[in-house]
Amino acid sequence: MKPISLVQIKPKAGTQAFFRWRQIGDDAILVTNLEGNWLILTEDEFTAYARGEVAPDSDLHGRLDEKNFLRASYDVQAASERVKARRYFVHGGPLLHVMVVTLRCNETCVYCHASRANMDAVHTDMTPEIARKAVDVALSSTNGFVTIEFQGGEPLVNFPVVKEIIEYATERNKEIKKRLEFTMVSNFALLTEEKLQYLLDNKVQLCTSIDGPEEVHNAQRKLPQTHNAYQAAARWIKRVNEAYIERGLDPSLYHVEALLTTTKKTLDYHEEVVDTYVKLGCNTIFLRPIDPFGFAERARLRLEYPRSKYLEFYRKSVDYMIELNKQGVQILERYAAIFLTKILRGEDPNFLDNRNPAGAGIGQIAYSYDGNIYSCDEGRMLAATGDETFKIGTVDSAYRQVVGHETVRAMAIATNLDQQPDCVNCAYNPYCGTNAAYNYKAQGSIFGRMRDNNVCAVHKGIQDYLFEKLAENDPETMQIFERWTTIRPREHFVQDPTQSED
Amino acid sequence: MSADATKELRFPREVYAGTAVDEAVKVWGKFADFELSETEDHWVVKVTPKHEGAARQIIGEFGNYVLGLTVDRGGVDGGEA
Amino acid sequence: MSADQQTSIPDLPEALASANLGERSVSLNIDAELYPLQAVYGAAYIFIDRCYVFVDRPEAGKFRVTLAAKEGVEEVEALRSLVGEFANELISCAWRHQVTQDNRVAVETVTVQAIAGAMGEPSLDDLADFDFTDEALDDPLGIAQSWEEKHGRKEPKAEADAEAEGGASA
Repeated sequence: MKPISLVQIKPKAGTQAFFRWRQIGDDAILVTNLEGNWLILTEDEFTAYARGEVAPDSDLHGRLDEKNFLRASYDVQAASERVKARRYFVHGGPLLHVMVVTLRCNETCVYCHASRANMDAVHTDMTPEIARKAVDVALSSTNGFVTIEFQGGEPLVNFPVVKEIIEYATERNKEIKKRLEFTMVSNFALLTEEKLQYLLDNKVQLCTSIDGPEEVHNAQRKLPQTHNAYQAAARWIKRVNEAYIERGLDPSLYHVEALLTTTKKTLDYHEEVVDTYVKLGCNTIFLRPIDPFGFAERARLRLEYPRSKYLEFYRKSVDYMIELNKQGVQILERYAAIFLTKILRGEDPNFLDNRNPAGAGIGQIAYSYDGNIYSCDEGRMLAATGDETFKIGTVDSAYRQVVGHETVRAMAIATNLDQQPDCVNCAYNPYCGTNAAYNYKAQGSIFGRMRDNNVCAVHKGIQDYLFEKLAENDPETMQIFERWTTIRPREHFVQDPTQSED
Repeated sequence: MSADATKELRFPREVYAGTAVDEAVKVWGKFADFELSETEDHWVVKVTPKHEGAARQIIGEFGNYVLGLTVDRGGVDGGEA
Repeated sequence: MSADQQTSIPDLPEALASANLGERSVSLNIDAELYPLQAVYGAAYIFIDRCYVFVDRPEAGKFRVTLAAKEGVEEVEALRSLVGEFANELISCAWRHQVTQDNRVAVETVTVQAIAGAMGEPSLDDLADFDFTDEALDDPLGIAQSWEEKHGRKEPKAEADAEAEGGASA
């Protein structure tokens, strides 16, 4: 890409309203404004705009005016409404409550994100008493929506406590009447038909991990007994999806979703990864880069890669997914869907690690097996390596003390992009977010430094890709992107507080 | 402990809070002997570590501690500057 | 630290930075007109897990930061990397200092809304614990107060808290 020259353009303040810009192609410059409206201009158009020389009767003037880019006609009320809509979540309170019911895990993953323990480490099981107290804190949230997410370790290892949480929370919610949901992230290897029926009876949404085709998955996620973690997961994905149909649920909406952790090995398999997900009946791939939490740092040299390599992988994968969609296959990439929802719809899907400010403490809380409470799951994982920086209380603490903890305040400030060098000038500011726990772990402070920050590189790289696609304006791709931003609520998973499941 | 291990640290008053120096000296008293004085521009602390093998660490961590307390207070003027 | 042990660092002017291999330390001279003290605090604090950090005032209008590596730094190249990393952090902190001043109201408004929204209304028990002095009555829950102004802590706390405090008050 040949960079444009501001020296030649000679910008001067004049008719423009506040805007940020970024070149995304040889003749394509993205401009965004405070409230997240955007336009892609040619170099000539950008030059005229930057110089304040746009003719009032021109097509460009009309486009700029319509998107609120001109000072004289700037609609403060409209801008304010759009900012408010984008940030509707700010005062919502914690919605996601991650409950780590055990650190024990039957699988050994090369990057283990969750700081696992061996199967004989029963002392890392959450007790029923701690579980009930954790539910009490979670249901004290000011948010009318509460999602309890079972994590581990492997949550199926401590299934009695999973049941305790479900039953206690459901019972208590009869009085509290939140929109309560349960989700479980599991490798499925310990699932049985009996456990599955219990989870389905109690409307627990199931999610698993698939790291690519069988060979890649099994190289990264090892099961000591069967030696085939992939087959175990694949078998149960199929079975769970069948069970949804048996219960009369629409399979296009109700099916198992899976998460991918991208390691160095994954980078060579972009088509195979996508094909694997399609074959398993998953409609969504979340192309998550590896992060430095849990045990991952110890294995960094073997697993890590420059973010430029990840972004190449990302582009090839999503290009391939777009091609498949054009052939009628329904598969979307989660990162793309998150950003596109903000870009195309002006709404925020409330993905807690990618919003402004981020969700640590104010949108999510993580409950460790031992009763300690952390601002986020990354904070909990960091604690498992001996760093208690993000501990904000225990299950015995009063709810208001937990969320009012000074660490929560610090993280809310640190992830506010209005105080972040670079972000204040970045064209992607209205759609982006930063992760304080990641910044702390990778760069030594919760603020981080965006110029050499991996999360920033990934966010910028993905948005560069998406805006390049938007600049190309291929009608079929635009239709696919529109579809990716259409959120269909899964009402089945919402607990009915008037019903008892016993 | 030999006098060789004694090191004089001169904390500029414009940078370090005097209360931070005082508090750090109390906390680190079990690891080192301290002699305090002051000039117009500096808090002067002579540190004599009680464990010669850890002298560098004790003096260094003591300095970090003073810095940490100063930052915690929001600077010399408690963030009012 | 004696001057004769000082050595220059490749690619960096001697007037700006020098290393002392015997001490495993590196010193950086900083122009106080360009970098406010709050930025120096912010950057210095981030290095206290890796280094012994000392901030000096060699003359009016200058700071000198000395970073003595706690471990693992035997060569000048490693010290160069350390001082380079510090310089990057320093410029980031300096810019944040400016940005925070420019956008203070916006940042504080969002933070207060987020924390107040998450905490919710106080119960009668919460209110019973309040200190109803004139000062507290201005903001009985303490939520409208910027957190970095709020506390003089009784003892040193976790790194991120204190680091954030230094940075945010910048």
